[in-house]
Amino acid sequence: MLKIPESTTRDDIVAIVERHGADRTSLIPILQDVKTAEHEISDEAMQIVADLLGIHPVEVYSVATFYAFLHGATEGRYVVRLCGTLSCDFAGKTAVAEALRSALGIDFGATTDDGVFTLEWASCVGMCDQGPALLVNDRVFTRVTPEKVAEIVAQYRGKAADDARQDIVTARNELTYASIAAGAGLKAALALPRGDIVDTVSGAALKGRGGAGFPTGMKWNFCAAEKSEHKYIICNADEGEPGTFKDRVILRDFADLVFEGMTIGGRAIGASMGIVYLRAEYAYLRAHLNDVIHQRREAGLLGANIGGIEGFDFDIVVARGAGAYVCGEETALIESLEGFRGEPRNRPPFPAVAGFLNHPTVVNNVETLASVACIFAKGTDWFKGFGTDKSTGYKLFSISGDCEKPGVYEFPWGITIADLLKEVGGGGAKAVQIGGASGVCVPARDFARRLAFEDIPTGGSVMVIGPQRDLLDVAENFLEFFVEESCGQCTPCRLGNAQLLDGVELLKSGACSAAHLADLKALGATMQVAAKCGLGQTSPSAFLSIVGAFADDVTTRPQRA
Amino acid sequence: MSKILIVDDDPDIQEACRLVLEKEGFQVGCASNRAEGLRAVADVKPDLLILDVMMEEPDDGLTMARELRRQGFTEPIIMLTSVNAAMGLTIDRDDEMVPVDKFQSKPVEPATLVAQVNELLGL
Ligand SMILES: Cc1cc2nc3c(=O)[nH]c(=O)nc-3n(C[C@H](O)[C@H](O)[C@H](O)COP(=O)(O)O)c2cc1C
Ligand code: SF4
Repeated sequence: MLKIPESTTRDDIVAIVERHGADRTSLIPILQDVKTAEHEISDEAMQIVADLLGIHPVEVYSVATFYAFLHGATEGRYVVRLCGTLSCDFAGKTAVAEALRSALGIDFGATTDDGVFTLEWASCVGMCDQGPALLVNDRVFTRVTPEKVAEIVAQYRGKAADDARQDIVTARNELTYASIAAGAGLKAALALPRGDIVDTVSGAALKGRGGAGFPTGMKWNFCAAEKSEHKYIICNADEGEPGTFKDRVILRDFADLVFEGMTIGGRAIGASMGIVYLRAEYAYLRAHLNDVIHQRREAGLLGANIGGIEGFDFDIVVARGAGAYVCGEETALIESLEGFRGEPRNRPPFPAVAGFLNHPTVVNNVETLASVACIFAKGTDWFKGFGTDKSTGYKLFSISGDCEKPGVYEFPWGITIADLLKEVGGGGAKAVQIGGASGVCVPARDFARRLAFEDIPTGGSVMVIGPQRDLLDVAENFLEFFVEESCGQCTPCRLGNAQLLDGVELLKSGACSAAHLADLKALGATMQVAAKCGLGQTSPSAFLSIVGAFADDVTTRPQRA
Repeated sequence: MSKILIVDDDPDIQEACRLVLEKEGFQVGCASNRAEGLRAVADVKPDLLILDVMMEEPDDGLTMARELRRQGFTEPIIMLTSVNAAMGLTIDRDDEMVPVDKFQSKPVEPATLVAQVNELLGL
């Protein structure tokens, strides 16, 4: 029997557990609330939670220590998280970091003596178009300057409450979503038999917008054909890929379309529950999403017998992520929803067969689901009128870095990099990083290439790299990210990324021999095939493309003394 | 003489089914993908269809079965497939999503296939 020490916090924890339910799937929400209430998750708290959930304390410890927003250590009332992504780097992150250190009198990873502030790095807070960005608890600050740091710190020193609701203005061009009448897609879809819903999505040749580009209709087809009493549709709103922030805009401005897409998907596959997995860094969107869900319930668009269809019951809940990039990977996301560490699973079985709680589950990106609603509102021919044969429709691109007009832009698939750069004032770029940290670095001589599944596929992140930048800094930034975010389950990724990062340091100091570079390239190639999940399979891509396309530059650095 | 159409991208399966069924006196035609299969159904007007699932796309057979039913094709369909083993699925026939008359996993004994065909054709 576990011995529970007496504690003043036990009653609070009991109340938290009662609120969420004493179930393993509630473990992360429980720990999130404990952390908010106590500013730490003490050993004692972990023991109490374990006892109430009937699991071993080490299970609680292993989960609490996995997630950046949970880890056990005591934190200040306000946790300041400065974004470390490349775009924030380009925008002046280093000076802001220095200003934070001096204003708070602490280094990163530390808490002020008065217990008011903790200072940490964040991997990417999804504000890449308006960096440098930082979070103070759930609130986001953008275009932060060293001067603004003093203001922010003073504001929190003098203030108790933290208003998490926020409006963030993002530059954009005209988005098709704005022209779609709310409700039209759902109405059209619910008039169809389930099989026809799937076939319409397949007919539109919609491919997933989350990065991998898997045909959405096919995923739905298999899940719909599976027999199970319970099925789930999950909206992947983890958007952790550095340089990606289009889902944030969709969730803020077109949440109804996302929920319509989920409801249509729920009807097609036979699910009665939809879950939005919202990244911790977007906590300020949560209240808005819950409002929209509430309004939809009131309007009969969620709940029992939706659209007058007897037995079509469907509802949506929003689950909070806890700060782990790998949880965007669909099986890690499911592990996280089940209350475990976000460690990717082996496949098969695929989530469409055995996903959330072992039931058939579809995981789709936010933008994929919004596109589904548009396809039903306007028709497959309309949708296929955009893009190319193999990449139908339009895509939102998150554009940041060295350009005049960073923001979220819609273009049809197939646009060349050169044309895209023209739209955002990115002339003079020496390279663009397509697809985020896990994507590829494309040199200016290849700007005639197209963004499409048949040429350069992407989840939509475009980071413009100006002539003044050092590409080894770019590779270093991404590899630091992967070293931090690797879940550590498999060796190629856990050790490989650290080796590549070492290699970048050697290249920078002119101390990387040709033979060692060849080994590093071979290591990268091995990771691409041997890593367990997409994280480790794609993490060497930026490094490999940079040392490939910019060999003359990166291999000729003068040797440092 | 009943006409049977086999839609499968594997020429060995086509050939094996053809041999077995021709021996039973059936007239047998073959198609190798969804588009060809749909054309052949329109041309040949088969009395029974033997349909694979994983062809050019891994879900082609599911999509094609529904497409045919939408078009008003009412003749029996035997879904002959290894999709469950290949993808770890547990699919079976159902009116909404898998509108076929028999769902048969590969490999199948010739006698079983013949018995299913005879049963569905009322022979
Ligand atoms: C490390 C890693 C992170 C990922 N992050 C995300 C993410 O933040 N959002 C997302 O939609 N997909 C992400 N994915 C892809 C998902 O695994 C999955 O393919 C996707 O959610 C499926 O949706 P879609 O087919 O609609 O794109 C990630 C994959 C990997 C390997
Ligand atoms: S590739 Fe990396 S993130 Fe994926 S399972 Fe292996 S260690 Fe974890």
